[in-house]
Amino acid sequence: MTLSKLVIKNITRRRGRFVFTLMGITIGIASFVTFLSMGGSLKSEINRESAALGANLVVTPIGSCAYEQVSILTGEILPSNITMSEVAKIRSIQGVNAVPVLTEKSAINNKPVSLNGIDVVQMMKFKGWRVAQGSYFSGHDDPSLVVGSAAAELFKLAPGSTVTVRGQQLTVRGVLQETGGRDDLTVFLSLPQAQRLYNTGDTVSYVAVKVDDLKNLEGYIQTIRDATNLGVVSDKQMLKSVLSIVGTVNITLQMIAAVSVLAAAFGIVNTMLTATYERKREIGILQALGARQRTIFTIFLLESGFYGILGGAAGVVLGLLVSLTAAPYISQNAFTSFVKGSGGGLIDLKTVAGSILFSALVAVAAGVYPAWRAARLSPVEAISYE
Amino acid sequence: MSNVIIKASDLAKSYETGAVTTHALRGVSLEIEKGSFTAIVGPSGHGKSTLMHLLGGLDRPSAGSVFIEGTDLRGLDNSGLARLRGEKIGFVFQFFNLLQGLSAKENIEVAAMLAGVPEKDQGARALALLAQVGLADKAGSKPSQLSGGQQQRVAIARALVNDPALLLMDEPTGNLDSASEAEVLEILRKLHVQGKTVVVVTHNNEIAQKAEQVICVRDGRIAA
Repeated sequence: MTLSKLVIKNITRRRGRFVFTLMGITIGIASFVTFLSMGGSLKSEINRESAALGANLVVTPIGSCAYEQVSILTGEILPSNITMSEVAKIRSIQGVNAVPVLTEKSAINNKPVSLNGIDVVQMMKFKGWRVAQGSYFSGHDDPSLVVGSAAAELFKLAPGSTVTVRGQQLTVRGVLQETGGRDDLTVFLSLPQAQRLYNTGDTVSYVAVKVDDLKNLEGYIQTIRDATNLGVVSDKQMLKSVLSIVGTVNITLQMIAAVSVLAAAFGIVNTMLTATYERKREIGILQALGARQRTIFTIFLLESGFYGILGGAAGVVLGLLVSLTAAPYISQNAFTSFVKGSGGGLIDLKTVAGSILFSALVAVAAGVYPAWRAARLSPVEAISYE
Repeated sequence: MSNVIIKASDLAKSYETGAVTTHALRGVSLEIEKGSFTAIVGPSGHGKSTLMHLLGGLDRPSAGSVFIEGTDLRGLDNSGLARLRGEKIGFVFQFFNLLQGLSAKENIEVAAMLAGVPEKDQGARALALLAQVGLADKAGSKPSQLSGGQQQRVAIARALVNDPALLLMDEPTGNLDSASEAEVLEILRKLHVQGKTVVVVTHNNEIAQKAEQVICVRDGRIAA
């Protein structure tokens, strides 16, 4: 017999209580891991989208805040307040390649889809897309559609398919190769066509800008601001502000999860305190047999820690399962619900070990008071307990 | 070298419950010799068990002193008392006090663990002790699967795991039928013959008659 074997026997003796206490800590850690995993995937997704956007600078209506910047990355609708004359002013700046984008939403088979009106020629140069099926837009005002690979797969679209947008039947002309970014889930149409369908006049939502001299990014920002009355943000600034929002959201989610772990910790305190009352006589017997106070303390602390380790391990497994299966649906409104490889499961060994350690530490901390109570029982009081 | 294993002087123990003070022992002095068989007798509630608890270091006296093999228990902290119990004393109680979730063998192994017996030796030691009390075939039985007499024999085997010089027993036959009582008494006789110091708190006349020394406790004092 060893202390740890005795501890395991003690814990598993009352199976019902063991299972329910374990479930508390398991669920707490599972939610913690789920949020951690989702947060991780959200961050990597943002990094990916930012890279896929391919712009050094993004020009938005003045006064745009981080929400608009998130929307650019997620393909949400943005107010279209930038006129084509402003776009022309940006384009006239030396060393700047500016591509206007009009972001809109539509639905295919009752599922929401992002629609981007683009300068078809400039955008092709800007993004360097490759066409997987069919062909690209034939000209500046081509009335047909080109769809991203994931959208084509999701909505079963191929060259020749028709899609109804704002009551007009449009034909799919081509399907792009997978890019790994938001473009895969987007349906593209020429800018004039989009402006007509959505009655936006000659306005666009934002302008993606590539510059020739990356070292002079600040100079370009100032020049664009001087030339137009628009807001300009670099891709790095945008990434930073978006990630900071995501970071805040993540921390909030993790704090909620931490509260559930804390609630589970009180469950452990309760279970262990009950155990000290129920096993008073047993404690007395052990003391009569020569167990010192610190041995009794260790037994109870180990029991508590055992809940933490086992609950932590089970919680990590459950959390990963939840994040793998449920997270894509939970994050549907925010990011990339359908994009392959996104939406969960992003967790490393360090996080797994850290979560189990966290769980064990919380459980051990929860066990200190009951263990102390058990250890300070007088042998006679304990052994005489009926 | 003194042949006295236990020496108690002017032992007193009182309990306070609110404003009421109960004097369980009022100045008990005694000596018990090594290898002797002593019975502590007296009416219920007169302080016999309290005396046994004080002699075994399970409780501390309100006044007076206890020496075990020359060690003054007043000089020991809680850990020191626990060590002394683990090394020198074997306890047997009226209600057996086996750990319910564990088998007979595991109950003895726990005691062996606390006595510092290495894990690899614990099993053999437990089986040998169970054989000594005639329960070799009950090693895997849980307390709930054993009769009262069998449980008490397991408790005695457990008390012997540290090969203690002193066995302190509180009403070891108080909960047993006649047949079981006879078995336990026979084990006590053998242990005494082997040289163990046996101190038994009892109401049982038969045990008292077999004892070499009988201490009668009445109203917290030793009665003549």
